[in-house]
Amino acid sequence: MIDQFLLGLSVVLQPEILMYAFIGVFIGQLIGVLPGIGAITAISLLLPVTFYLDATTSMIMLAGIYYGSQYGGSIASILLNLPGTPSSVVTCLEGYPLAQRGRAGLALFVAACSSFVGGIVGVAILVLAAIPMTIIALRFGAPEYAMLVILGLLAASLIGTGSQIRSFAMVLLGIALGLVGADATTGYYRFVAMPEMADGISLVSLAMGLFGVSEIIRNASRRSPPGPALSITMRDVFPTRAEARSLVLPIVRGSGIGSFFGALPGTGAAIASFMAYAMERRFSRTPEKFGKGHLPGLAAPESANNAAAQTGFIPTLTLGIPGDAVMALIIGALILNGIIPGPRLAVDQPELFWGVIASFFVGNIILLLINIPLIKLWVLLLRVPYQKLYPVIIVMICVGVYSHRTSITDVVLTLAFGVLGYLMKNYRFEPAPVMLGFVLGPLLEDNFRRTMLLYGGDFTIFLTRPISAMLVACSAVLIVLALWSGISAMRKPVHSTP
Amino acid sequence: MFKKLLAALPLTLALALPAAAQDTFPDHSLRIVHGFGAGGNADTVSRILAEEMSKGLGQPVVVESRPGAGGTVASGYVTKQDPDGYTMQLMVGGHAVAAALYNQLPYESVDGYTFISTLGQFPFFIAARSGEYESINALIEAAKAAPGTLKIGHSGVGSTQHLTGELLDLRTGAKFIHVPYKGGAAASTALMGGEVDVIIDTGTVIRGQAEAGVYDILAATSENRWPDSPDVPTVSETVSPGFDVVSWTAIGMPAGVPDDIAGRIRGEVHKALELPEVQEKIGDLGAKAGGSSGEELKALIEGQIAVWTDVIDSAGIDKR
Repeated sequence: MIDQFLLGLSVVLQPEILMYAFIGVFIGQLIGVLPGIGAITAISLLLPVTFYLDATTSMIMLAGIYYGSQYGGSIASILLNLPGTPSSVVTCLEGYPLAQRGRAGLALFVAACSSFVGGIVGVAILVLAAIPMTIIALRFGAPEYAMLVILGLLAASLIGTGSQIRSFAMVLLGIALGLVGADATTGYYRFVAMPEMADGISLVSLAMGLFGVSEIIRNASRRSPPGPALSITMRDVFPTRAEARSLVLPIVRGSGIGSFFGALPGTGAAIASFMAYAMERRFSRTPEKFGKGHLPGLAAPESANNAAAQTGFIPTLTLGIPGDAVMALIIGALILNGIIPGPRLAVDQPELFWGVIASFFVGNIILLLINIPLIKLWVLLLRVPYQKLYPVIIVMICVGVYSHRTSITDVVLTLAFGVLGYLMKNYRFEPAPVMLGFVLGPLLEDNFRRTMLLYGGDFTIFLTRPISAMLVACSAVLIVLALWSGISAMRKPVHSTP
Repeated sequence: MFKKLLAALPLTLALALPAAAQDTFPDHSLRIVHGFGAGGNADTVSRILAEEMSKGLGQPVVVESRPGAGGTVASGYVTKQDPDGYTMQLMVGGHAVAAALYNQLPYESVDGYTFISTLGQFPFFIAARSGEYESINALIEAAKAAPGTLKIGHSGVGSTQHLTGELLDLRTGAKFIHVPYKGGAAASTALMGGEVDVIIDTGTVIRGQAEAGVYDILAATSENRWPDSPDVPTVSETVSPGFDVVSWTAIGMPAGVPDDIAGRIRGEVHKALELPEVQEKIGDLGAKAGGSSGEELKALIEGQIAVWTDVIDSAGIDKR
């Protein structure tokens, strides 16, 4: 294993390949910062370039764009409440309040370091445990996915900062929005007002609208937008010793959760970051600090989405099966180079296989090195007066959203979601649970109905398959714990009365 | 004399104009629109073609992705463009499926087009986990022996892969459970994990696994053996004589493109398809490159619309 990794390093450290790795992560970082423009758009624009490169180099560059965008995505989230990528929606929850308290530099530093650790853990798992992870991923069928989502929804039921019932209502709204489009089981159209909506509402539209556009409307409607306090001395950028210590476990947990979800085809970085945040909050001793700029709540999801971005390559590399749309593009580039990805990739093309994996390692180091010095520069962005920044951001959001599917409908929807997000915020409804419902709802429906189709409507299948049964048990434990703490909370005042 | 000249003027002009159009066409950039995601097979084929055509036409050829509703968003868009020869559409087999599957489409599937040429054709393959079924005959026998138990994973309700599975049911009398996944990759994962027993998909999805010995390819859906895989028997020669499903990619334009311009474009397409590197790249995507006349393409699409309408009605699939 180590020998092969060294072979990979020898490939990636060739100057030309190293340059393409750098170009890849740099472009990724950049498009991650730009709201709405995702890795898919960037990779498909660069796909023609790969006609002229060999397979290893093109794959290293395209992969760099993908995981590089995970780094960049957190920057606009922290500074402007603008998730650059869907997986950095959660970063807004803690990162933006930190920036408003004048600790943008610290937030960016923690995000970059957590991303780095998450990325490296992801690569390590890719090197050491790709095959076992593949075997586990293959044991996840429709029943397991369905139960995993239920567990996730339960764990995340505390994700909003307001009241339980409000956050529950928002999860339902998210699920309802997720229903728009062709039903995957029958092909029936649901809530399709125009043909452009047949494939559903785009995740990017919803995220950009609810977070980015609504924030702009909110700030614009104030007479004098509060300029966040600035901190650009390096001293404010580094966490204190106690703060740093409090981040170790969240980063470890986040990396673990991210690595797991990344390796499951069809879930990916966005779900991983939500799960990491929910877990952190569920098991925190100080859950009341979340939503106000709590560092562990920033570090865990940041490490999760970067770990997931790396382990997301496991099914792609070991089986030749793309886990999501970005991976499908990367596999497309391989096919154009005459390489048919499959389980024999590691044997037939060891230099490509290990070169790409080693490039992840190198790429993460490059990303950390370019991110830390840039923090000061990014924070300066906050000095630009808001009224000058808004128009630019709105235009960028519209261009970004349009570029995804060349659809004006998506742009109009994004602006509409912006208004919705503004109204929600005014009436103290949180946008994060909407995103959660939107991402997880369709996944649950799809896998639940597929289970019913596969096993002839037999509900006991959820209990007779071992992994599924284990997930059901975890959900049950969560419910019991919640009831227990609810009951003891009700009892306490009774005891205290004499 | 002067009057005669004057009378002849419109005629001369009329004769001169098409020639002028021919001479100056194209005087600005052209587009190839397709209805699928950037970076997918349709996108890649468009780009390969665009690159070669722009050399021949002396103008840039831009690829434009307008994804949505199984490619029908793009078709609705293209058929509404000026038939001036500057807008092309990369059409795929799904065009015929959509004509059969949707109750209402915002365009005419056949009359809305000036058909240019096919680009390539490809079959689907039926694959099972290695060693599970000796042959396609064994699979169909097993399916007949226990109706409604064996599962076929396919890449989405109403996809050509799905309808091919339904056609297999209809023609052989077997009764499979047809399980939809989001795309061929997800169906392939399900086959590997043991959730379904067989999948029907393109060579790009199946070949890598077959070469690694993970899958056995049981049959090809084309009527005759596919040149790439001469050892793979066909459904037609084994369990269902006459069974023939071949999908395709093609170039069409909005209805009403003048013949000379359509001919010019057709010539460029055919020229590109003759290049070995284009044939090789299309071959890598699992298809066999080959052009056709406009009439041949029209006949192909009309024939497939008839077949799929029949399958959808017989299998009781809900129209949209």
